[in-house]
Amino acid sequence: MAGASRAGRWARRVFAVAIAIAFVFPFYWTVVISLGHPGEFSDFPPVLVPHWDWSNWSRAWHSAPWLRLFGNTILIASCTVVLCLVTSLLAGFAFGVLRFPGRKVLTLVVLSVLMMPGTVLIIPDYVLANDLHLLNTYWIQIIPWGASVFGIFLVRQFFLTMPAEILDAAALDGASRLRFLRSIGIPMVRPALIIVAINVFLGSWNSFLWPVIMTNSSMESSSTVQPVEVGLSTFANAEGTDFPGLAAAVTFTTLPVMVFFLLLQRQFIRGALSAAGGVRG
Amino acid sequence: MTATTEAAKALAAPPGPGRRNRARDFRATRWGWAYSAPAVLVFLAFVIIPTGYTFYVSLWKWNALNPALSKFKGLGNYSRLFNATQPTFLSSLWHSLYFTGAMVVGGTAISLALALLLQRGGLLLNSTRVAVFLPHATPMIATSMIWVWIFNPKFGLADWFLHSLHLPTSQWLQSSSSSMPAVIIYSLWHEVGFTTVVFLGGLATLSNELSEAARVDGCSAWQEFWHVTWHQLRPVTVFVVAITAITSLQAFTQFYQLSSGGPAYSTTTLSYLVYQEAFIFSDTGYGAALAVVLFAITVFFTLVRRRTAAGGESHALV
Repeated sequence: MAGASRAGRWARRVFAVAIAIAFVFPFYWTVVISLGHPGEFSDFPPVLVPHWDWSNWSRAWHSAPWLRLFGNTILIASCTVVLCLVTSLLAGFAFGVLRFPGRKVLTLVVLSVLMMPGTVLIIPDYVLANDLHLLNTYWIQIIPWGASVFGIFLVRQFFLTMPAEILDAAALDGASRLRFLRSIGIPMVRPALIIVAINVFLGSWNSFLWPVIMTNSSMESSSTVQPVEVGLSTFANAEGTDFPGLAAAVTFTTLPVMVFFLLLQRQFIRGALSAAGGVRG
Repeated sequence: MTATTEAAKALAAPPGPGRRNRARDFRATRWGWAYSAPAVLVFLAFVIIPTGYTFYVSLWKWNALNPALSKFKGLGNYSRLFNATQPTFLSSLWHSLYFTGAMVVGGTAISLALALLLQRGGLLLNSTRVAVFLPHATPMIATSMIWVWIFNPKFGLADWFLHSLHLPTSQWLQSSSSSMPAVIIYSLWHEVGFTTVVFLGGLATLSNELSEAARVDGCSAWQEFWHVTWHQLRPVTVFVVAITAITSLQAFTQFYQLSSGGPAYSTTTLSYLVYQEAFIFSDTGYGAALAVVLFAITVFFTLVRRRTAAGGESHALV
């Protein structure tokens, strides 16, 4: 019996390792391609070990303004995060703590946003951005994403689970709303804010349809407002047959996100868990 | 002395309107809406009003360069939905439902299986969790480029893998019969990490007592899973199904980068067709009509999911 369960445990481990390799292998293979010789990707068997040809990396690095593109992405993502934190904190506080006429209606308004997918919005928002001369600006990539339903409801959830005694004591103390928010509210919902920040940052970094539509003009590369993922797509369309060069570009544009994820993977996973936590309400 | 009785009263008082007469309590306020205003304004300006505007645009032969020159068409764009010119609305609707169905069934089954496999913890299983979640954290546009090579029939990993197992190889993205399955495989790789973690969260909250009772009663492992674990996971499963359905209906980037809707429109989904009509063929009005249909389908899914949900899940986001 014990032998059988030990075998079962080993089977489970072997299986888990196989799965981990299967999920990570595409990334490894990209690095291999990026370090290979340009001519060798034409036939079986695929090249599975790197040949350390770094010339692909410098060729790819010099054929697009990557630093500018990275800077754009970081600027857009950071501003979006700041906006989302402010709007989520205030609205989460309003919906979780405050009592005011119209709260139910406003909650429903916010919830209804979930039914309006980005693909539906892209046409009217493009028309709107065009009218307001916001195409090819940072603004159109930041402001529309400055509020998050997930963020609002996560912060609200944290406020709802706050012990009533704390709120009562603060109320008794005659604390003002803003003072309560600053000295008690923010520290208490900090874990929620961290999750929101990470998710919004990554969502902004990884978004594609929105920036590709909103920044599609061919601007001078030194003044482009496009994020790095759109730059990568443009690069791929131009240099599509240079597999090692493109693989190098894919690698060095994806690496920062991967490092970001690996450093903060606990908080990420907590974010996904809190999505499930909402289900069990 | 009065302070303590006040405190006792405050603690004893039920939350709700009864509090309102306490003038100093900061919670009851007419200004509460102002705290939600920044978020609500963003949603109104860029989500809610534009959704209404989509309806409006869909009634016009819209002139993207100069909207003043647009011609009113009434429901003309909607009757065009049933025209037979490729790519047709009906085929793209079918592709959307095919993709969404496969993602819901495949994604839910795979992520539940992965969660059951990885729930024990320990360094090795936790590392596998991170590995499974990693693709979800990386940009779709970049990882789609990788998978274009993986699916390449000449030097790609997918065919090489099948070949070394002596299985028949496939043209993957280059044939209209295998292109959609290829996009689904990529999307599963990218998405299941998130839903696996959601299931892991659900598994962590299950009661051990029920499983033990089941084991004491002599249930087999399968019976225990089916009657105890799976049953308790129902709310989480509903959430996973709903979120997968909505994300899949909206999926765009992988179709853009992996297959550009082809070959022969075999991966032109409704979301991709909205983009193509509005921004490639510059038929904004028709694109808006397609977007309205997509909106209606999303609302339908959401309402069905609400109606079928049990009472305890009212906090769920979707």
